[in-house]
Amino acid sequence: MSEELRTSSIETRGVAGKKRYAMVIDTRRCIGCMACQVACKAEYDTPLGVNRTWVPYKVVGTYPVVKKQFLPRLCNHCDDPPCVRACPVEATYKSDDGGFVLQRYERCIGCRACMASCPYNARFMLPASRTYTKITNVVDKCTFCFHRVAQGLVPACVQTCIGRARVFGDLNDPASEVSYLVARNATQVLRPEQGTKPHVFYIGADRNHTEFGRDIYRRPDVLEGDRAAFQRTRA
Amino acid sequence: MGDYVVFHDVAWHGVYALYFFLIGISAALYFFSALSFYREEFKPLRATSFYGAFALLAVAGLILVGDLSQPLRFVNTLNPGYWNMSSPLVWGTILIVLYGLVSVWYFLKLGDEKAAKLPAVIGAVIALGLPIYTGFDLAVHQARPVWNTPLMPVLFVALSLVSGAAVASFLAKGEARLLGALRQIMLWTTGATAVMVLSLLITTAYGGSSDELTYMFMTSGTIGGIFVGLGILGGTAVPLVLLLLPFGKERAGLLLSSVLILVGGLSLRYSILMGPQIVQTFFS
Ligand code: SF4
Ligand code: SF4
Repeated sequence: MSEELRTSSIETRGVAGKKRYAMVIDTRRCIGCMACQVACKAEYDTPLGVNRTWVPYKVVGTYPVVKKQFLPRLCNHCDDPPCVRACPVEATYKSDDGGFVLQRYERCIGCRACMASCPYNARFMLPASRTYTKITNVVDKCTFCFHRVAQGLVPACVQTCIGRARVFGDLNDPASEVSYLVARNATQVLRPEQGTKPHVFYIGADRNHTEFGRDIYRRPDVLEGDRAAFQRTRA
Repeated sequence: MGDYVVFHDVAWHGVYALYFFLIGISAALYFFSALSFYREEFKPLRATSFYGAFALLAVAGLILVGDLSQPLRFVNTLNPGYWNMSSPLVWGTILIVLYGLVSVWYFLKLGDEKAAKLPAVIGAVIALGLPIYTGFDLAVHQARPVWNTPLMPVLFVALSLVSGAAVASFLAKGEARLLGALRQIMLWTTGATAVMVLSLLITTAYGGSSDELTYMFMTSGTIGGIFVGLGILGGTAVPLVLLLLPFGKERAGLLLSSVLILVGGLSLRYSILMGPQIVQTFFS
């Protein structure tokens, strides 16, 4: 992307000496096994009902010409994140090197302004009680496995991905695998019109996922029952 | 379908609309109290509407703090070292604290015609900032249709004045001149609200895909009933017509309009708050 598209001082694109971590997700390789979702749950003890990463699917086509389309989802670690702008107490912030968008759990007041501002539903409220983890009643989200990356590991979801659909690395390094994939493939980010400049790039994302949810008019009863149960747990 | 699906929650629940409603009324009541220094007919309102404003500020403040998932950490918002000035919530915190302090000052001077004028005027200016900031609270979220429009702060000022005038008409205790002035305020601000909501409906209906979905969602089903039925028809159009009729000039007509306006004000705030959020939860 050209230099003149860099508009905000917070952005890390092409900043010398700074890392700019990104994930490339090749949806053609995703088999919908949800192993990433499980690995993430295991890594963070993410409570029931909420997810740092999730793999929505859509059944596309008419029988017998059908396909299940998957779109692994997570926080985009936006280069220009609206959630950081919205937080009144800087409890969510963007790390200077690497571009991780992170949470200060001990500072978060739970006003949920960040949830309101994220165009991707990447954030969620942690419940009041958890079995193994003390962090409760604050907003949480994917951290791009900051603690693992700092130790030279890849995020848990990337590590576990059986299809190698998820690839992680530094976009500011032209020799990295993510740089290669972004350069050589037609990639796509979610809701680019929001100006968030996401750091999760998709290869072959299906428009049934990326277009704004028409599902609001296609709500099968079986899902509405589940949705009502979910809402009860959040109330 | 239905084997494994992830749902998303809205960020701000309905109680936030109640906060918008109460803080808007509080701001307008303070404004009317201050107006009594310039307009004779508002004099009977000076003390009562100020007390109303103060009580509502306390209630709204408690609602706002109670709605945080970490209520005690509201002290973090008072720490300038933490302030992120790009967040309207910080502007709101500063305004509410100032509003509270000036209210106390005004309270102490209330009996003294001369000394009370300054805190009245300063407080009224700060009070005006409250609906403006609540509008920006929504407007800054660029991904949300309806919210992300320049109308929000202006609409919230109009809603604040109209709901405040409706409450003031109950406090006016039948003072004919005061009721006349409040009727004028209600008439103009209800009219302004109607124009703004109409413009909002049209721009949303003719917008892009997420706008179009939000429009459909906000004009059908339960939210549609609240937005169009209670907010636009019952709470804006009907009182507007009532106020224009001779019956609207009588006390009973005015009070009936006030009740409708209050129902409408809460409904509009609720549906504008919830509609775009519920639509957003359907994004994969
Ligand atoms: S995806 Fe949402 S939560 Fe993640 S950085 Fe972007 S705006 Fe923030
Ligand atoms: S919920 Fe927490 S992280 Fe989110 S905006 Fe509020 S204080 Fe910041």
